Parts: sequence; structure tokens; C-alpha cells
Amino acid sequence: MTIGINEFIIVSSLLFLVGFFGVIFRRNTIIIYMSIELMLNAINLALVAFSRYNNTMDGSIFVFFIMTVAAAEVAVGLAIIVMLYRQKQTVLVNELNQLKG
Amino acid sequence: MDILTNLLCILFLPLGASLLIIALGKFRKQYAPSVAFVSSVFALGLSYTLLKNMSESVQFSWEWLAFGDAKFHIGLLLDNIGATMLAMVSIVALCIVTFSIGYMEDDAAKGRFFAGVAFFMFSMTGIILADNLIMIFLFWELVGFSSYLLIGHYFQKDEAKSASQKAFIVNRIGDFGFLIGIILTYWQFGTTDLALLSVKAGLEPTLISSFVGFLLICGFIGKSAQFPLHVWLPDAMAGPTPVSALIHAATMVAAGIYLLIRIDFILTTEVLTFIAYSGTFVALFAGFCAFAQDDIKRILAYSTLSQLGYMAAILGMGFSGIALFHLITHAFFKALLFLGAGAVIHACHHEQSIFKMGGLIKKMPITAITFIIGTLALCGVYGFSGFYSKDAILIAANDHNMTLFYCLVFGALMTAGYMGRLVWIVFFGKANSEAASSAHEVKPVMTVPLIILSVFAVFVGLNAYWPFGLGASIVSDLDHLHHLSNYKEIHKWVLILGSLAWVIGLSLSLLFYGRGSSDDHLQLKFPKVFAFLKGRLWIDEIYETYVNTIQKPFAEFLSFADEVILRGIIVRGGAGLVGILGIGFRLLQVGKLNNYVLWFFVGLLLFWLYGIDLF
Repeated sequence: MTIGINEFIIVSSLLFLVGFFGVIFRRNTIIIYMSIELMLNAINLALVAFSRYNNTMDGSIFVFFIMTVAAAEVAVGLAIIVMLYRQKQTVLVNELNQLKG
Repeated sequence: MDILTNLLCILFLPLGASLLIIALGKFRKQYAPSVAFVSSVFALGLSYTLLKNMSESVQFSWEWLAFGDAKFHIGLLLDNIGATMLAMVSIVALCIVTFSIGYMEDDAAKGRFFAGVAFFMFSMTGIILADNLIMIFLFWELVGFSSYLLIGHYFQKDEAKSASQKAFIVNRIGDFGFLIGIILTYWQFGTTDLALLSVKAGLEPTLISSFVGFLLICGFIGKSAQFPLHVWLPDAMAGPTPVSALIHAATMVAAGIYLLIRIDFILTTEVLTFIAYSGTFVALFAGFCAFAQDDIKRILAYSTLSQLGYMAAILGMGFSGIALFHLITHAFFKALLFLGAGAVIHACHHEQSIFKMGGLIKKMPITAITFIIGTLALCGVYGFSGFYSKDAILIAANDHNMTLFYCLVFGALMTAGYMGRLVWIVFFGKANSEAASSAHEVKPVMTVPLIILSVFAVFVGLNAYWPFGLGASIVSDLDHLHHLSNYKEIHKWVLILGSLAWVIGLSLSLLFYGRGSSDDHLQLKFPKVFAFLKGRLWIDEIYETYVNTIQKPFAEFLSFADEVILRGIIVRGGAGLVGILGIGFRLLQVGKLNNYVLWFFVGLLLFWLYGIDLF
């Protein structure tokens, strides 16, 4: 069995869905954060696969950008979570409901 | 002092006095009469020097506002008409202010009264000296305002309160037409300056239109209390008596006539004819009404209406000089009559019904004699001032329109009738109440003005002897009459009819009412006639019905439209719609991060569907 573009797309979609549902259903901010990372990496995988499939470098360049952005985001996001914990003594999103209208 | 300084002083002196009285604070009550008196004396002195040095008409004009090419000026104009008015107003005002010092002695709000009178003097002088219609309108409103203030002097009484509002509102109706008239005049002639207007009207008679004329005389109809806006004047008698004498008899109501004299060159024949007929109608109508009144001041108020009708009638026939003549003579004898009535009211402890007086000639001889002099002048008895002006009116009417002539002669008979009724009942016979029997002559501060005014009431008709060349327009109109081809015949005829009118009027009223009677014989003998006259053609009732049945529902409809449609549906409805949307959207804001993410993805999905042209 050869591994073609279809398999890559399927794996990437599954990874994305795992991340998506993780964001939607989990309550712990850290887990949500990890799920977001999972989605980003699912995209990366898809981009690399398409890049290879099309024999162009466009997708691979995007992957580098996404990795850079993700690193920056982690730095800021984790800091926010730490500060949140200091203020509220919790990182569970159902208790962080101050946005309620 | 040059003429300009003099004019400015005479205009602003009363304003200064008024402001000074207000600024006096707690000393107001003590010094207000003296401030007002001194200012009136100076005003008279200033008019004297002004008139002595006046040779011909002078005009000073300054630019006031400029909107692009449209420029508006304010300015002062003193010609012989204005000078005549100014002399009359200064003399009458001084007498009335002097009288007020006695009359208002015990009034708690003396300061307000004298400040109001001084302010009125400022506004009235403004009308007299204004050189354009816009400025006349400004001061026109100011006299209306001071009249409102002074009618409402006893504002604790409901009667005075509503009378002052009535006067203000009724005048507003007339002034609205006047204002539109001024705007249209400016539109047609490109100026409101009186001198320029008369030149332009002379050069291009096609610019003159009846419509504008009718609008302009609306102001006159309101201010001079002509039919159908006459309703405010009798009610205005709720004010203090000196105010009635100054504003509602001698000067302000005459300002309407003065305005017509000023603008008579832009009034067409139709407008003038209308003025003549409506004036004659008022002269008769008010005369009839006076018979059914028992309040001494209201009788005089109707008499004022009737005399204003005479002035309007003669002006409508094209003799503005004679209208001015009657205006001046009337101002003196009517101010005298009102002050006399004030003295009587003061002596009878504020009793105003003539049937509660009687026999006052023995108790207050000076007041009684001066009052009778005023009455004789009003009736046009030979030798008194009223005779000269009324005689001139009748001669001119005879030459112009015989119907109006007979109506006016009949009006003279009515005048003598109701004035006779007043004099016989109030001053002769026996006292009919406690107040009248204990009455005694008022103080000299009140009798001296009466004496001075009665001297004027006798002699002011001899206009050939007026100093400083006053009344030039009167003389020219009189000359016109003297040169009529059948002048002698008419004059004899008028003399006989005029004298018959007052002789019959005075003697019939004596026979019918008797001296010092305590009840109204007309009411007893002809109750239906009395009730009809008392009804005064039910004008007030018609207005009341109109206001209640047409205007009020209309106002309520507008209020409904405002409340329900504008405020309810459009404003509240719009706000409500947005509010409901807001509540709906708020439900989405649950405060859970997970939901936000879900919605974010739903949004993204919609964008994607839109992007692939699914809808």
C-alpha cells in the first residue's frame, strides 16, 4: 500500500477534528491550548503534504510561518494563563465566565 | 447738546431708570417713585429742548446686521408726526407717574410697578423714534411685554393673571401677521426704512399690494384692539389704574394708529376702505357694549375702543393727519378720565362698580370737576379739545362717505350717552354704599396731575397755537378740509348734528338713569336689550368655543401624533427593536470560551459556504 495524498488529508483532518473537539469540550485552559496546537499542526501536516504533492515550496514556506506564529503564541498565551491562575486561582473555563453579557 | 445725543438720551433715560430701580434692591420700594418721577421730568425736559431745536425731520441710521447683500439698519427718525407723539407721550407720562406716586402709595410691589412703567416709556419712545419697520417691530414687542408685566401687576389675583396672558396672546396673533407683512415688504421693496419706502412706493406704485397691506395692519388690529382682536382691552383693566391710563388709553393702543400713519403710503384703497369700515363698526359696537358695563374702568375701556375706532375710520378715509389729531386730543382727555376713575376707585377703597358710588361731587370736587371736563371733551362739547378733532373727523367723513358719517354721528350720540350715564350715576345723587359715603378728596399729588391734564383736555384742541411747529401734518389735513368747496355748509351741518348728539346723549342718560341710581335702569326695564349688550356679540364666547372645539382637539391630535406616532412608534419603536435584538444577541454571550469558539467556527463555515457560492 502506497501512502498518497488522500491518506495525508485523512490523518490531517482527523487530527484537526481531535483538536477542534478538544477546544470545544474540554474545560481546562491548558488542554484547550494543547488542542489549538494540535489543530495548527494538523494544518501544517496538510500543507506539507500538498507542497510535496504539487512539487512547489509554497506550502512549506507557510509551515515555517505557522510554526513561528505558534511559538510566539505559546509564549504570550502561557503567560496569560499563568496570570489568570494567579488572579482567579483557577484555569477552568466554566469558571472564567466574565465575558457573559 | 446736539440732536443725536438728545435723541439717544430721551430713548435710553427711561431704560436706565428702569434698570436703576431694579438694581436698588431693598431700597427699591423707598426710592422707585422718585427715580421714575425724576426720569419722567428729565424726559419731558429733553423733549422740550429737542422740539425747540427741531426745524425739519432728522434721521440717523447705523448698520446693524449684514447677511451677504442684505443689510439691516437701526436708526432714529424724528419728523413732525413723531415729534407730536413724543410731546404728548412725555406730558401724559409725567402726569401719570406723578399720579401713581399717590395711587400706588400702599402697594407692596411699588418697585416692580415703577420699573415696568419706565420700561414701557423706553419701548414707547422706541416705537415713536424708530426709522424702519423692523425696529418698530422690536419695540412693538417690548411695549407688548411691558403691557403684559403691568396688567399682571396684581398677579395674585386670577383675573389679572389671565388678563395679562390674554393680552399677550391676542397681541401675538396680530403681531404674527405684522411680522409676515414686514418680511414681504422687505421682499418687495428691498428695504424697511420708512423714508426709503415712501420714496420707492411713490416711484413704483405697482410694488404696493393689498395683501401685504392687510398683513401689516394685523399688527394695528392687535395693538389698537380693533375688531376682531379687541377682546383683550376690556380685560386689561385688571391692571393698576395708572397703567390703564398710560398704556391702555393714551399711548400703547394709540401706537397702532401711529403705525398706520407711518405706513399709510403703502396701504392700498382696499385696505384703507377696510380700515374705515372696521373702525366705524368698532366705534359703534364698543359704544353699545359700554352701556352694559358697571365697572367704571371697563366703561372707559370700551370708550377707548370706540375712540380708536374713530381714529381708524378717519385714517381709512385718507386723513392721517386728522387721525393723529384725534389721537393726541384723545390721549389727554382719556388719560384724564382714567386717572379720575383711579382717584374715585382709590377714594372708594377699590370699589369699581358705578352703582356702588354716587354723590361723589360733594366729597371729591376736584376729581369730579376734572372728570366732567374730560367727559365733555370726550363728548365733543364746543370749546373742548374733543370738539375740534371730532368736528374735523365728521367734516372729513361727510365729504368722503355719508353712510360712515351718519354712523359716526350716531357713535358720538352713544359716547355722550354712556359717559352721561357714568357721570350722573357716579358723581351726582346720593351715595350708594358705605365706601362711597366715607370717600374724601384724594391727596394733591393725585389732584395736581388731574388739573394739569384737564387744562390740556380743554386747550390741546387749539392746534393752531401748538408751539415748535408741532402737528404740521394735522394742519395740512385741516387746511384740505377748509378748502372744500362747500366747507361752510358742511361745517354748519356737522356743528348742529355734533352738538345735538352730545346734548341728546347727556340729557337722555340723565332722564333715563337718574342721578346716583343704585341699579341699572336699562337692565330693569329692558332686560333683553341689556343681556344682548352684555353679551358683546359673544365674541369671547365664540373664541372660547373655537378654542375648545377646534383648536384644542387639533392640539390634542398633534399631541397624539407626537406622543404616539413620533415618540411612541418611531422613536420608542426604533429603540425597542434595537433593544430586542440586543437581548437576542446577549443570549449568545454565555461567557463560556468553548461556545465562543463554536460560534467562531460556525461563522467561519458560513464564510466558507458564501465563498464557494453556495448562497
